[in-house]
Amino acid sequence: MKMNRRQILGIGAFLLGAPTLIVAKQHKGQAPLLISAASDADDKHWVLGFTLTAIGVTTVFKSVLPQRAHHIAVHEQRGFFVVVARRPGTWLSLGDLETGALFREIHIPADRHLFGHGVFAADGKHFYTTESDFDDIEGDSGRVVAWEVSGEGASANLIRVQEFPSYGVGPHELLLMPDNETLAIANGGIRTHPAHDRDNLNIDTMLPSLVYLNRKDGELLEQQFLPQEFHQASIRHMDVNASGRVIMGMQFEGEPFLEVPLVATHQRGEALQLLLAPPEVQVQMKQYVGSMRYAEDGRHFVASCPVGNLLTFWDSESGVMVSSIRARDGCGVCATETGFVFSTGTGRLAHIELATGLVTDHEEPQLQQLFWDNHLSVAEVGTKS
Amino acid sequence: MKPLFLVLPLLLSGAAFSQSTNWTEVNLALTDAVVIPDYQAFATATADMNQQAKSICTSITPQSLADLQSAFQLTMDKWQAVQHIQFGPITYFNWNYRLQYWPDDNGTGARQLLALIASKDTSVLGSEAFARQSVGVQGLQALEQLLFTEASLGELQTDAYRCRVVQAIAANLDEIAAGVALRWSDEFRTTVATADERGFFESAEDATIDFLKAEVEPIRSLQQQKLEAILGESQVGARVKRAESWRSERSVRNIKINVASLGRFFNEGNPALNTVLPPEDIEGINASFTKVEATLAALPDSITQALETESGYNNLKQAAADLSALFELLEASLKKTDLYLGFNSLDGD
Repeated sequence: MKMNRRQILGIGAFLLGAPTLIVAKQHKGQAPLLISAASDADDKHWVLGFTLTAIGVTTVFKSVLPQRAHHIAVHEQRGFFVVVARRPGTWLSLGDLETGALFREIHIPADRHLFGHGVFAADGKHFYTTESDFDDIEGDSGRVVAWEVSGEGASANLIRVQEFPSYGVGPHELLLMPDNETLAIANGGIRTHPAHDRDNLNIDTMLPSLVYLNRKDGELLEQQFLPQEFHQASIRHMDVNASGRVIMGMQFEGEPFLEVPLVATHQRGEALQLLLAPPEVQVQMKQYVGSMRYAEDGRHFVASCPVGNLLTFWDSESGVMVSSIRARDGCGVCATETGFVFSTGTGRLAHIELATGLVTDHEEPQLQQLFWDNHLSVAEVGTKS
Repeated sequence: MKPLFLVLPLLLSGAAFSQSTNWTEVNLALTDAVVIPDYQAFATATADMNQQAKSICTSITPQSLADLQSAFQLTMDKWQAVQHIQFGPITYFNWNYRLQYWPDDNGTGARQLLALIASKDTSVLGSEAFARQSVGVQGLQALEQLLFTEASLGELQTDAYRCRVVQAIAANLDEIAAGVALRWSDEFRTTVATADERGFFESAEDATIDFLKAEVEPIRSLQQQKLEAILGESQVGARVKRAESWRSERSVRNIKINVASLGRFFNEGNPALNTVLPPEDIEGINASFTKVEATLAALPDSITQALETESGYNNLKQAAADLSALFELLEASLKKTDLYLGFNSLDGD
């Protein structure tokens, strides 16, 4: 384990001035299990479960995947997780939360593909994915698919039951809102087709949106569009806090030199709040945010920028970017009691403590030579610390 | 040059090569031997061009235009030598895009320049206002468009505004080139020299990775963007106007300079950047550099001219293949080290 202190001016002072904002998680003697997809030098793809504690990182499981994955959704009550294929993949792989063993691979219909994200309902009975009806080359081809959950542990299964329009093109991350009944969907706006690899086929007419749907019947509850001048800012990744404030990160497909908001917040019924970092940081973000997560206080959040080799830290209440640190190819992020764990495409796994700026690198032989994929997930069922 | 999102299989594998590099020494040696002198040479050429441009509008003659064209050619030579360095001060204030808006597949820059000329708006030609104009009118591509058409002499003689735009661009380029050179020598050299977890870089090794990316990634860009995108599938299907400097007939010359500069970037300085790779790989990589240079040497500077013959077309194809082979050698060598150039940053998701 290697420790160093990065310059993280601003947020440290802020948090030190308001320590009660940091609500420590109760882990009941258990270290949270972190799960991420990764690839290695031989182009093999993996899902890994590991814990981070004061004494270091412990690998809990490492299971081989058929192809590169993106995000992992965790069903803690029923003891399994779902690995979602990276777009335009067509498979979901179910794994046992305790052993990591992948026990079931589900393929979606041939005229659909996934976008790498899925989310469970709070009641644990349903799972939702974002998908593309890619042969609908003109219309809103985005879909939200509802799956029924059955069984548990290594006998868990997902049954595809319903499909709703996402009211846009290229839906990416989706969230369950705090009311447990509403889904928030990031319609990225980019039209792709498996026949054209991952090419953007509609760069001039992109129309990204943030959509809220009733998860039971797909009713469109609210839709927010970016101003026309930012229509090429693809909304991709999101998080939500307990009061329902959504944070979202964008990837701008237009000219690299334009000053375009890459971060925004939204509260239902209100207008989008588009946020800019200070100019010297904004330009370093390189028009690309890769992952968004709230801190434990539910107020501050991180927007990772793997192209710009940056992690940026923001205050959702003031809309101000309060600090940033360099993290080469840093993308995966998840909250801890005191800050964030982050992972990088160069194989790094580290923790940043927000109040002090202390960065602790975690090195473990089994995890070396692995290149972490874009997202980190957390389950409150890890091994004993 | 716009950054190209390469599908680089840079999943670099485990370290058979035991690394004992002093990263800071490598970084500083390269900075002092190549980066700062080359940026200063670019700034000097750009300043000279600006001086010539200042007096051109009083009497535009075939000779004065030819002199300014020569100054442009020298400036472009010096720019091509540093074009591959896409980190550090060149990224400040969008200087990289303002210097050169290319590739421009939709012809946006050309359209914006014509619109500016049609506007006759003199209020935008002062240095501060001009720096806020569309990047498409600010840089080398726009200047080339004004200086290198058959009608250039007549248009500059009869349209005073057009000539003032030439002057505004030359002054803008001078300011930017001087700014980049100054920031490297006065600021960023120190950033490189002191790279550790308290500063801009995570570490000195992190800084070395930026230098390595400036070495390796542009080789794919040259292959794909400057050659394959123009060559297409056949000689008759070649698209000359996609080339970088087709108007000034120096598209191949640019690539010759790019490759020579990448070779210097790899080998000059003591210790050189090549010392971060396994020593047994260096000879092969340098032989590959020599191979590309030999292929390019057989070609004229103008891609239009090169494409007139079948042998020229084939030589251009060969140059693209040579560049690909060079890239693969560098990639294979990197795989033997612990140096990871990126994964998610090339992902697009």
